[in-house]
Amino acid sequence: MRMWIYIVRRLLLLLPVIIGVMTITFVLISTLPIGERLQSYYGPSKFGYAPTCSTTQEGCVCVTPFNGTCPNPAYVRGTSALGLNKPIYIQWLQYMKNSLTLNWGSTDHGSKASGTLLGGSTIPVTTVLSYYLPYTLELATFSLLLILALAIPLGNYSAVYRNRPLDQATRVMSFSGFALPGFLLALLLLLGATILAGQFQTICNGQSTPYFEFYGSWPPTVCYPGGVGPTWIGAYYQTSPTGFPTVDALIHHNWFLAWESVKRQILPALTIAYGSVAGILRFVRNSMLEVMNLDFIRTARSKGVSESVVVSKHAGRNSLNVTITVLGLTFAYFIGGFAIIEDVFNLKGIGLLLAYSIQPSIDFGLVFGTTLLFTIIVVTANIIVDILYAYLDPRVRLG
Amino acid sequence: MAGKSAGGSAPKPAVVTTSGGPPILKGRRPSPRIAQLKRTWYFLSRNTLALIGLAILVFFVGVALSQQIPSAHALPRDSLQLFCGTYTGLGGGNFTQLSAGECTVVCTYATGQPPPSPNCYAVDSFNPANVPPTLSLAHLSGGPLPLGSLTISSNGNLFYSIYDGFLVGAQWSLFIAVSIVLAGAAIGLALGAVAGYLGGLVDELIMRVTDIFLSIPGLLLVLVVLAAIGHEFSTLAGRVGLLIGAFVVTWWPGYTRVVRGQVLVTREQKYVEASRASGAKTGRIILHHIVPNSLYPVLVQLSLDVGAIPLLIGGITFLGYQIFPTPYFPEWGTMSALSITILPSALTACQISTSGAPCMFPWWQLLFPGLIVFLFAIAVNFLSDGMRDAFDPRLRR
Repeated sequence: MRMWIYIVRRLLLLLPVIIGVMTITFVLISTLPIGERLQSYYGPSKFGYAPTCSTTQEGCVCVTPFNGTCPNPAYVRGTSALGLNKPIYIQWLQYMKNSLTLNWGSTDHGSKASGTLLGGSTIPVTTVLSYYLPYTLELATFSLLLILALAIPLGNYSAVYRNRPLDQATRVMSFSGFALPGFLLALLLLLGATILAGQFQTICNGQSTPYFEFYGSWPPTVCYPGGVGPTWIGAYYQTSPTGFPTVDALIHHNWFLAWESVKRQILPALTIAYGSVAGILRFVRNSMLEVMNLDFIRTARSKGVSESVVVSKHAGRNSLNVTITVLGLTFAYFIGGFAIIEDVFNLKGIGLLLAYSIQPSIDFGLVFGTTLLFTIIVVTANIIVDILYAYLDPRVRLG
Repeated sequence: MAGKSAGGSAPKPAVVTTSGGPPILKGRRPSPRIAQLKRTWYFLSRNTLALIGLAILVFFVGVALSQQIPSAHALPRDSLQLFCGTYTGLGGGNFTQLSAGECTVVCTYATGQPPPSPNCYAVDSFNPANVPPTLSLAHLSGGPLPLGSLTISSNGNLFYSIYDGFLVGAQWSLFIAVSIVLAGAAIGLALGAVAGYLGGLVDELIMRVTDIFLSIPGLLLVLVVLAAIGHEFSTLAGRVGLLIGAFVVTWWPGYTRVVRGQVLVTREQKYVEASRASGAKTGRIILHHIVPNSLYPVLVQLSLDVGAIPLLIGGITFLGYQIFPTPYFPEWGTMSALSITILPSALTACQISTSGAPCMFPWWQLLFPGLIVFLFAIAVNFLSDGMRDAFDPRLRR
């Protein structure tokens, strides 16, 4: 089969999954009271979303006054627009139409996300997500590179030095990676690094500021050279022109911020990698053990190829396939940790958005929006993995 | 002589099985499943890590079971018992009367002195019956406050005993984890066996649905289910039930996929073919042949997941979602998440005290709740890794 046919077929299979996931969120949303559903779609309203409003409220106009209350215009308009007064399958169709056309509702007031990150304004969820997505993507890329850099050599060499100290060390590492709570590991790393850096508090431009060297996606404003933040960082922490913080800093030749941005992603990436490498290592090691017994390895050795080349070139090529396959399988687990890690390190990505949107009151528009987006990331990553795998292993696309 | 051969107690020479298993005494042969169980135990018992894991688990289960026995001080089941007091460092400091009037002090003593009586704690004046337990890790430290105490309020005058939380939490954590896993596995076994055995359209349908569920990150699905329908439940039983339900919704697809994979292998076995040839109905074949013989890989997956549940509950609590009706709920994951909320204030306290008195960082508050969760998860990991090796003949060494 030609490669592009494979890709197109794989992309077409994406649609039912996306529709299925949106159906799950629809089912969950339908359990909410109508007022909450309207609020998550339209944001706060001055009338509220009770079925009726009082004539004392400005703008609550009654055609036929009854007991001083009349139909709430926001409620009436909302229920008919979302089809909430119609049968459930009409509601589902309307929801699918809205979701597929990226109308994911608006941010609400009352959650930490609105207060701390968005300045209390009502913004379409998709717009907010587009501000915060690039940071998460950059962090994910960084973490993935770290995982590849750790899992492949460690897996290879723990197979080569089977049951020797290196193997035992990686075994301990992979067991503890499963068992350590992510937030605890992240906090310990943050704490350790801060103590090593010797600074709970840093003096920036003559001002003393409680400043963690590794906390937050950017330094506090007073710590910028000159004490003023650059204009290319927007009010909602989105950067221009690309949105990827390090890339933007480089584009603007701001070496200080580029380094700060990378430095602040090292510990989160390490935390994420530690948890994921744990799962991948064992697979790489076991497949390596199988490959090392195959004929072509014996042939390579008998040709006089040095052992290190046999491990890295001949047998090691296979570990890349295994790593990519396992990564695809565990990607949902990998990306699920981002909410916690970004919360610990206060990084301005969609994970932090999710963490902040469930407290103190729940912003349903943002919660469902971030969940959908995370799922889309997972599904997309799975497709990329499949394509990569088909590229690395011709049997997949030909078979 | 007939009794001798039936009893099998005579010291006959041991016969080593061809599969490399343990020697089986000649005589009465155990049923194949019992024999397999014995063989599994034999391989498991040669795996040191698995035995360590098993020992830790037995200890935790013992702690949970021992709490069922009515004790002298009945620990509250729905909320951690809160103590009053002020904390000024492990080695010194006094209890002082708090201005809010919420706590009265039973006794005070000077820095460096041992506690005058085992009951030297502040007592909740609103609820004087809440006398702290007499036996706790506190007395190991000799400090004014229990070593296992945990600051949970930002002004630092409310504490609870990590030790008590560990005892009561053992029940909750194990109950929740085992319920989730058993319910998930029951669904997974049923659907996986049907999908794998019947194949065709049924298989396609079930597996596509699991694909959809598996593409949503697990932690997020649990969180979204809790957030969406959490407002419907307010009682303790309701909240715990909701938590279990949310996890089952998230995890059944994983089990279904594992079971189906195993069933695809099992259904091609000769005994299944023989059963079909002798006219057994589909239901009987699935129930009597497919399910029992596809159980082992699920068992490994189950035991792995049991350990992950307190970690995930901790993660959700850390994100700020209150799962249980009371914020200070005696559950291991919740405790580990609570334990780190004091970190910023503890750091700030230490930062301030660098100028004056030496700062005692409350390391035990971070260490113990995390250690409980870690030990539980790693014990389960050790055990399930050993089980995987013991069940799978290819991995035996």
